[in-house]
Amino acid sequence: MMRTLIPAIWLATTLAVPGLRAVASASLPSARDVVASMAAAPALVDYEATKVLTAVHQDRAETITVLESYKRLGRLRLEFLSPESVSGRLVIDDGVSVWQYEPSQHLVIHGPSFVHPAEGPERVEEFLRSALIAVLGTEDVIGRQTVVLAMETHDAGPSRRYWVDRETGVILRTEERDARGEVVFTSFFTRISFGLNLPSALFRFTPPSGARAIDLYESGDPVSSPEALRQASGAWVPTTLPFGYRFRMGAVVHHGALTSTSASYTDGVRTLTVFVTASSQMAFPQVGVPVTMESGPARLLDVGYFRVLMWQAGGATYALAATLSPSRLLLVASALPQRP
Amino acid sequence: MTHARWQRQLSAYVDGELTPHEAEEVQAHLAQCESCQVELDRLQSLKSLLGRLPERTVPETLWMSIRAQLDRPQQSWIAKVEQWLQGVVRRPALAAAALALVAILVAIPLVRGRLERLRAAELGPDLYIREHALASASDPFLDRAYLGLLISDASLALVGTPREETEESR
Repeated sequence: MMRTLIPAIWLATTLAVPGLRAVASASLPSARDVVASMAAAPALVDYEATKVLTAVHQDRAETITVLESYKRLGRLRLEFLSPESVSGRLVIDDGVSVWQYEPSQHLVIHGPSFVHPAEGPERVEEFLRSALIAVLGTEDVIGRQTVVLAMETHDAGPSRRYWVDRETGVILRTEERDARGEVVFTSFFTRISFGLNLPSALFRFTPPSGARAIDLYESGDPVSSPEALRQASGAWVPTTLPFGYRFRMGAVVHHGALTSTSASYTDGVRTLTVFVTASSQMAFPQVGVPVTMESGPARLLDVGYFRVLMWQAGGATYALAATLSPSRLLLVASALPQRP
Repeated sequence: MTHARWQRQLSAYVDGELTPHEAEEVQAHLAQCESCQVELDRLQSLKSLLGRLPERTVPETLWMSIRAQLDRPQQSWIAKVEQWLQGVVRRPALAAAALALVAILVAIPLVRGRLERLRAAELGPDLYIREHALASASDPFLDRAYLGLLISDASLALVGTPREETEESR
């Protein structure tokens, strides 16, 4: 009874938010169809566009303008235009690795790819199981008809809203709100040109002559269970965490002399990462703002869009990174068993 | 025979240490080599000069002290350390320098370890941000451009050149 009641109440509340009321229409596609079209879009269409991103962290917002080009399957080119601090930065993900060129320092950084090709039906089902999803209506975005989709996890955490191009399934606008309903992130295209075949050369990186090049591959081979992670690093992490997070994968991460253990969890939609670093290797970081936990002092770093909570216990420094409110991060942290 | 080798033979020739056959060979070479003739003259005048030096007798006390050293029994390592310590006490500046050297050798790894821990504390959060952003890429509906910005910002910070925030971005 409750399982059917909660989505109904959530949907009614969502539709009741002023300014987001949508006209119910018999011609609206189902939430499943919209999610499926979003998941399939990366395999169907290339585009070249200008996008504006705004992320709020603490008491300020940062707005970034970027030229974004995408080519099937999973190739991405980003040319940052503004603000001045990122202007000229080029990021090319060729589907295998990512190349970043920083013109102000004539520096190239090479690392692992972060663009995944289209998702299959299983992932769509996982999304539908893990989140409350509703089609709110239709709206025009840069002259194209979109379906407005609301998505929220079952624990009433942050919510997302997508404006999905009806024709292609490409997300033209995104909005994310925290648990209090405050907007924490928005992105929207100010123009977009769809193409069937953008030139491959656009997604191939050629290092500028004389540029300093650095490889940044920090993660070791991924492992698929907490037990395998314990064998690899000695760090113990649980299989599940509060708010429905389940262990997805772990790895030992190295950067110079610094070694840390990372464990990624998912609630089916969002990602939460736990890091365990021996205190003998790292002093307690002094970034962010101080917060108090039961186990002692901690620090909270607001990166914009996600936050990092750090604390020390049992000779180790723990860190939690997730798109969760500070109070929820503290709850997860208190439920995380410490190193014996 | 090379010219250099003829010149080395000259010293033995002047001292009368060559066999008759070798001496004949040297003489034959000297007859046709002007530079070796000059070298022979120089060696002969040097020998004559050394021959005119007065002979000095070795003082009897020197032999006695050498014999005493030879007859003395071997010192144990403890005695050697004691002797070294006595020397150190007699030279306080040397002792202080030795102590300082030991202190430096012990302190270097400790200081280096502490600096590495502090450096790790500066880099750790950027490493966490980058790795979490990369892990978040499994969410297909997360904005790729923003993910690219977060990853590239954290990568820059990790290589020691973090992005400077401008007034424009506040």
